[in-house]
Amino acid sequence: MAKNNNKRTKKEVVTIEPKKEINKDNILLSIQNASYQYSDAEADEYALRDVSYDFERGKIYAIRGRSGTGKTTLLSLISGLERCTEGTIIFDGKNLKNINLDTYRNNQIGIVFQSYNLLPYMTASENIILSMDASGQKIENKKEKAIELMKNVGLKSNYADRRVLRLSGGEQQRVAIARSLSYNPKMIVADEPTGNLDKQTEAEILSIFKKLAHEEGKCVIIVTHSPNVCEIVDEIYDLKKVK
Amino acid sequence: MFIFKNAWISITRNKGRNILIGAIILVIACACTITLAINNTATDLINSYSSAYAKELTLAFDRESMMKDFDMRGEEGREQAKEKFENIATYTIDDVKSFAEAEHIESYYYTYSFSLNGNNIDKAEIETDSNFGGFGGRPGGSKGPMGGSTMDFTLTGYSSVESMSEFINGTYTMTEITDNAWDVAFNGNYVFINEELASYNELALNDKIKLEDEDGKTYEFEIIGIFEDNEESEDSMMSMFSNSANTIVTNADALVNIDTENDNITGSINPTFIIDDYANAEAIQVELYEKGLDETYIVETNQEIAEAGVSSVKNVKSFATTFLIITLLIGGIVLFILNMINIRERKYEIGVFRTIGISKLKLTMQFMAELLVVAFIALIVGAGIGATMSKPVSNSLLSSEIESSMNSQDEMQNNFGGPGGMPGGPGGDRGGNRPDFNKMSGVPTIQAYDSIDAVVNVTVILELLVIGLSLVIVSSFASMISIQRFSPLTILKERS
Repeated sequence: MAKNNNKRTKKEVVTIEPKKEINKDNILLSIQNASYQYSDAEADEYALRDVSYDFERGKIYAIRGRSGTGKTTLLSLISGLERCTEGTIIFDGKNLKNINLDTYRNNQIGIVFQSYNLLPYMTASENIILSMDASGQKIENKKEKAIELMKNVGLKSNYADRRVLRLSGGEQQRVAIARSLSYNPKMIVADEPTGNLDKQTEAEILSIFKKLAHEEGKCVIIVTHSPNVCEIVDEIYDLKKVK
Repeated sequence: MFIFKNAWISITRNKGRNILIGAIILVIACACTITLAINNTATDLINSYSSAYAKELTLAFDRESMMKDFDMRGEEGREQAKEKFENIATYTIDDVKSFAEAEHIESYYYTYSFSLNGNNIDKAEIETDSNFGGFGGRPGGSKGPMGGSTMDFTLTGYSSVESMSEFINGTYTMTEITDNAWDVAFNGNYVFINEELASYNELALNDKIKLEDEDGKTYEFEIIGIFEDNEESEDSMMSMFSNSANTIVTNADALVNIDTENDNITGSINPTFIIDDYANAEAIQVELYEKGLDETYIVETNQEIAEAGVSSVKNVKSFATTFLIITLLIGGIVLFILNMINIRERKYEIGVFRTIGISKLKLTMQFMAELLVVAFIALIVGAGIGATMSKPVSNSLLSSEIESSMNSQDEMQNNFGGPGGMPGGPGGDRGGNRPDFNKMSGVPTIQAYDSIDAVVNVTVILELLVIGLSLVIVSSFASMISIQRFSPLTILKERS
């Protein structure tokens, strides 16, 4: 469990709104009474408490909430960056506690961050190929595949050999999305993916996510503050502080 | 594996960071190459010196342990000591041959000495002649352990060139010598005489001198060489002649033959044994006692003398070793700090790698591979620069030893009649009128170094690579452990 010094008060225990009706056969990710405590927290001090929810294939979800409600913590549990301290998370029928989270991250889910998290000394295509390599999947013609992915997210092929620092914020975010798709994951998890982008670019990025969910059947979960994001999603979940 | 591809991309795209690390490793490699080269060269010099000096063992009279049994302040004590001294069992040539068969003794040579009067030559008139001093002098072996000589000349017979220690150590230097001197020197009645005696009696090369014993029996010798005594007279204020003015040098066989024929001649034998290892000296002493050597004799070796010649080289070697340790220590600390800073600076990168699912092990391997590639290149370049610099640095540090090694052989050869010792004389050309030193176990044949070439060899390169890469791995150990502790979420949160 990661050590974190971000102190939280006992009043900032968070929860999630009640479950809505779902098609149980289509569930990809199921969160069951998941809680998370930092290693230095007191006994009744939780960053996230008793969260239960199911996410379906082919849908796009928004998780929203004010700062400190545990959005990023929930995202880190979903994306396998942390393990929940209580409860269970089931992905595609498998308990995350029993699988290698590195393999989970590099094969089953794609993660997109607000700050893109690309390697600045690599080109756009190298960043995408790196994810393909990390997945361990046998992918032929990686460079061509990377360029194809870039085209799919609206980037020209001549951007492939350009260092990512020479790309705009929107272009970098498209590269990050292309990277997250490079090994064809079943789920995309995005943390404020449009937080650093203008409205026009935000709309374009969101349309990509919508397409991934509705046309390619992926489960897309977006953690956001943005009302624009909430407008295009299929489901919205509000994380609230419990007094 | 893709981690090596990533490592190479990282190296080539982050030139500043890697050049800094490489530069530090390069400096360490340079210093290590030079010090390793000096170390190896110094070791070669030391080995050269130690192989040049034969491991010699001689028999010495243990006067101190014997005298402590007597009260020398009183007449009675002195008489007892004298009696004891005169009754010490001595050793003969046959004894020496028996001793030479002891385990750990490889070969031997000896000098044989006694005194005769002049027949057709006169003794150089000197006030003192201490060659065979009275009571308290080295007793030697054979027929009498001590006793002063009242005869004119001391004849010293050498069994071989190895035994001609006065010529080897430079006490005597040949000034004139016949062309065939070294062909006949050990086969018959041929002698080398002191130039003062030659001058005093107006003797020249190929002249024949006659000596006689107490019974008036004469012995004829031919002069084949004239030497100079380089030591000042023990009592120069009292004498115009050197101590060896009346010393006549010949071969041991000639003297043994005379001794064998005459019971009234009292000879003295001083053997030198060549042994396999100084460490066996005590074992040899025990065996010699078993073979009949009187226990008033002890064995002595030339270890101190042999090792004295390389003391300065040992100092240089010690300095090089110390410098190497300090370099590695400081270099290791600098690399350690640099690696820690490097890893902290790359936290974001680590976070990204971990987020996309690259395992900690693979990530550690990638970072290690980057460091090892940079280190390897820096070590090779550093070894090249070090190799270039090590020769002048080594030669500078060891210049006195190099000069000494160059001069020592020539000087010794000149003592036997080389070109420097006999201007214009016979046998002036190198190697023309000198014994073959290379075949002699007892003569120091020190390898001459005019410069220290090929100091950076395969051994040095391999040592450097092992030391350098080990240093890199050890110094990066802590930073690699810190990778294991990084949480990707924490890193990326900090970044956000």
